[in-house]
Amino acid sequence: MALNPPSPTPSMFKKKSSSNLSTAASYLSAVRAADARARAHGGTPTATPALSLSSSVTTSSEDTVLAEESDHEDNILYYPPIPPTSEQVFTTVHSEFGHCANSDYRYTSQHPQGVPVTPWLEQDPPYYILFTTYVSYIILICIGHIRDFFHKHFKPSTFQHLIPLQGYAPLNSDFDSFYTRRLKTRLDDCFSYPVTGVAGRTIVLLDRISHDFNVTFEPTGKRVRALNISSYNYLGFAQARGGCADAVEEGIKRYGVSACGTRLEGGSLDLHATAEGLVAKFVGMEDSLISSMGFATNSTIIPALVGKGCLVISDELNHASIRFGVRLSGANVRMFKHNDMADLESLLREVISQGQPKTHRPWKKILIIVEGLYSMEGTLVNLPRIMELKKKYKFYLFIDEAHSIGALGPHGRGVTDYFNIPPRSVDILMGTFTKSFGAAGGYIAGSKTLVDRLRLRGHTGAYAEAMTPPVLVQVIASMASIMGVSPSLPASFSPSSSSSSASTLRLTDSDGYEHPGPAPASSLPAWLDLPPALRDGSEGHDRLRRLAFNSRYLSRGLEKLGFITYGHVDSPIVPLLLFNPGKMPLFSRMMRSMETPIVVVVVAYPATPLVTSRVRFCVSAAHTKADIDLVLKACDEIGDVLDLKHRPGDRWPLEKIMANAIELVRMNE
Amino acid sequence: MDSSLSSYQPLLDFLLRSLSTLETTFFKIPGSAVVARYVKSSHQNDPGRTLLELILLIFAIGTLLQSRTRADRDGKHFIKFSEKEIDELVDEWIPEPLAETLDAKEQADLAAVPVIAGPQGPRPKLLNGKTVLNFASYNFTGLAGNEDIKTRAIETLRKYGLGSCGPPGFYGTVDVHMDLERDLADFLGTEAAILYAQGFSTISSVIPAFSKRGDIIVADRGINFAIQKGIQISRSTVRWFDHNDLKSLEDVLEGLEKERKKRKLPLTRRFIITEGIFEKDGAMVDLPKLIELKYKFKYRLILDESISFGTVGRTGRGLTELYNVPASQIDMLVGSISNGLASCGGFCAGTTVVVNHQRINGTSFVFSASMPALLSVSASEGINILRNAPSILTTLQDNIRTFRSILEKLDCISIPSHPASPIIHICVRPSSLQVPQLSITSSGSGKPSNPASVQPRDPPQFDIDGEERLLQEVVDEVLAQGVLVTRAKSLRGQEMIEARPSIRLAISSAFTKKECEKSGNVIKVALVKVLGKRR
Repeated sequence: MALNPPSPTPSMFKKKSSSNLSTAASYLSAVRAADARARAHGGTPTATPALSLSSSVTTSSEDTVLAEESDHEDNILYYPPIPPTSEQVFTTVHSEFGHCANSDYRYTSQHPQGVPVTPWLEQDPPYYILFTTYVSYIILICIGHIRDFFHKHFKPSTFQHLIPLQGYAPLNSDFDSFYTRRLKTRLDDCFSYPVTGVAGRTIVLLDRISHDFNVTFEPTGKRVRALNISSYNYLGFAQARGGCADAVEEGIKRYGVSACGTRLEGGSLDLHATAEGLVAKFVGMEDSLISSMGFATNSTIIPALVGKGCLVISDELNHASIRFGVRLSGANVRMFKHNDMADLESLLREVISQGQPKTHRPWKKILIIVEGLYSMEGTLVNLPRIMELKKKYKFYLFIDEAHSIGALGPHGRGVTDYFNIPPRSVDILMGTFTKSFGAAGGYIAGSKTLVDRLRLRGHTGAYAEAMTPPVLVQVIASMASIMGVSPSLPASFSPSSSSSSASTLRLTDSDGYEHPGPAPASSLPAWLDLPPALRDGSEGHDRLRRLAFNSRYLSRGLEKLGFITYGHVDSPIVPLLLFNPGKMPLFSRMMRSMETPIVVVVVAYPATPLVTSRVRFCVSAAHTKADIDLVLKACDEIGDVLDLKHRPGDRWPLEKIMANAIELVRMNE
Repeated sequence: MDSSLSSYQPLLDFLLRSLSTLETTFFKIPGSAVVARYVKSSHQNDPGRTLLELILLIFAIGTLLQSRTRADRDGKHFIKFSEKEIDELVDEWIPEPLAETLDAKEQADLAAVPVIAGPQGPRPKLLNGKTVLNFASYNFTGLAGNEDIKTRAIETLRKYGLGSCGPPGFYGTVDVHMDLERDLADFLGTEAAILYAQGFSTISSVIPAFSKRGDIIVADRGINFAIQKGIQISRSTVRWFDHNDLKSLEDVLEGLEKERKKRKLPLTRRFIITEGIFEKDGAMVDLPKLIELKYKFKYRLILDESISFGTVGRTGRGLTELYNVPASQIDMLVGSISNGLASCGGFCAGTTVVVNHQRINGTSFVFSASMPALLSVSASEGINILRNAPSILTTLQDNIRTFRSILEKLDCISIPSHPASPIIHICVRPSSLQVPQLSITSSGSGKPSNPASVQPRDPPQFDIDGEERLLQEVVDEVLAQGVLVTRAKSLRGQEMIEARPSIRLAISSAFTKKECEKSGNVIKVALVKVLGKRR
């Protein structure tokens, strides 16, 4: 099924690290050599041998890396290609969160002030690509029907669950399931791949094999560690080691695992209140409400916001959870073209002037629901324009920041931070903890009145189980480390002042919290003990800047290689367009069978329009520049084989891209 | 005249020429001759038909090109406004506030929500520093704070981190999820099981995954909110039977079957949806009878065991163990691992076909991140504990009996819950004036309720506000004595049928007999005090 590695040439990183790093001892000697090199280059002369990293993390990383997987010394997934020097103290495990000390590989995710938001233009592929894509689908559908015909007539046993049987209608008719059976099954080996361990910078795949064309899979027992550019781990908080995991362990010891019940019926812990207060501060709202599942946050809260006689205007590419919630609410729904502000305005003019259908009564409320960052497109909402429209048309605005919270903005506070728009001018900010915070669940933030109303009227409060203590602690710890904690902040460093934030963004809470600033220590649990780098916010700040660099580097790099990509340059989600359905499984398998395996996500219809099948990269702060290089290199090779480079305009060779990464990232549009 | 004709000559020539080229190119297209012959002969037979077909074609193209979202722009209800008028209308429009401020009662409700400071368990500390006996939280099997589970959770944390950072389809299927799915299927005795990240969202996703528009759902009138929402999303045809009344179910099923035969309706998917132990009142369904009906009428059964899984049966396998019915006879067995197993999440167990179908069509499975690994391992450990220590379930039942023996003696309350149910709902017994009235109406009109309407024929009458106020008084009184209980919270105005206000006790196996007796008496005294005053 899987292809052989298409490239016979070893990776360049391999070459770098292959200077006889075959044993742990030689790795250590290489560390010393690198140390000496650094000294020769005029580094600080006070350097001590690299191994005297006195932090406790070294021992733990030895536990996980050296002891368990000692036969991988030369694998760049376990060890950086260039060993660290002694000045560089890394507190993370390289396979979870990459070591990257070069402070040039940083960037600030921010919309340039005063520059209008340019509407994003979709790149069209050459006509022959579109043509072959349609033809592929026609062929696939024809073959599917032929196979159905033969199966139905000659192998009825395989068709039993699709036809009426003994007086029962089939659970799934053959017509409804056609796409799943005949098209999706062909690439099922790219989906639901079982994994184990941390979904960090790398991930361990549990190898599997199918003997019946992807109908069933059997584990082979082999484990493959691969570079993970697929998980929503934007800030790299998916870690089994480090300050947050330590905090969660302490949390489990103190609180146990369960909250036992619903929020209104005896499942409320003091931790819930703490986390809700912190989330409100983080996003810059008066209050917030936490729900134990991200999907349920939308699907159970939207019905409490709108109802009959209200109108929801929704972006056509909004997430399934939003549609689920809107459908439950009983409100009318209209859609506008994805991120098309002209379409939105004309729709607004129409609906406000026409009023409710038939009766023409004015709408009770109009709620516009948009996402901050679209998970399949990588596009950013045109928030400045929506805010202008909001002033004129008086609608309420709900932003789903599932992907953008933590991942965008100089302070990681999402799209409002990115565009420097005061958060409280938006009515409802929703987000999830699954992505940037490495936890689970979601939140809704807004005014105190609104949130209190939702506590009582939202479905979650009365009926859904409350968020569990370990998840709450992870949320609190990761969020606090992005914000920094205020009393322990050294005067020399302040993440809030390091970037130019305009006065519009400032607001001060009653307890002295200034948005977007560090969290007051009083708003955290007293027992929470974060390591200094997390407590002063320096690590969180570094993560934000690494993510911004990586995102821009990958998306610009792919562009320069000639690929058609979608989305905003600052988006950590980078979709690369494949078009032809047949290229999806190939791309995924080729990436997986590279010398350093890379796991990617391929998406096709129905998650995307029929023709624009794509592969979606999710960049993380845990990736190093070398990791992105590796992805670019792999894409470059595969792109040539699969004929994917169709972007018109200036192209750079791979070496030039890798050498000029910093300029590429800092380049303006 | 001649000259005028000749001046038109070049135009005529051009028209003829272009017509002939059009004709030749048309005939170059393969299959065009057939079309031409068809048109020609049909025109010959009936010239009117050509016109009709032409109109049909234009209509078809028009329909195809029409945008679906703006279909009503040309509708008869559309009023054309000038830009200026629209601007004025926009200026005039004042929306309602997004959320009204809470009134005094709602504020009091919110303020009365108990908040636990520190670990959850049978004897937690409240925010005001007071230690209470907790009969409010769902800790039926006493697994909250279990040291083995904690240890396993920490081990898992150190191996897997916390979040899975992805939906199951995209590298979010962790081996521990597959282990728990297998554990659940083994425990229950089904072919397979599928995990959802939240118990509440499980069934509202399971129902629409199978039941679509045109399918038939027969559901109990007393089902919980999550099922109501699932049915609403599915857009299926719904018929209702009286709460926990299988005779009524049989009547409804018979009626449907008759109707189907009479109107020769096509065979669609048909489901019976009910709960094992009802969340709203603790009643228990007669499973063997239900299974019998399901087979008799060829319906599939979706059973919500959110409360009963992990709480009844010898080892907590739920209703199937209690009634000794193989779980494989229930098509979709939905349960919660947040209640019985003290973790977070839900599952649906059934055949491999049923489970695999949900892996693609279960909305909240596909579009949501998978549950954190450590919660999954905690649940597996929970199952392990239940398997190896059946005494937990015996203690639980003993505690339930202790409680009921104290409360059942009271005549100011009624308890709709089943004697084995770990949740005990306490309702205010209607005052003596109302009782005869009710009994006359309910027994007098023997007519069955209309299955198409969710409202029963004789809905019980009760004063929601008054009863809630009384019960809240009881709750406050009991709390002052160091026992934490809660009113059953209900989204008034959003439920299809308003549930009768009640106090909901959640019994746990972690209490001693003495504690149960003490708490039972505290509740009894408070009930007598508050409800006695009313008389």
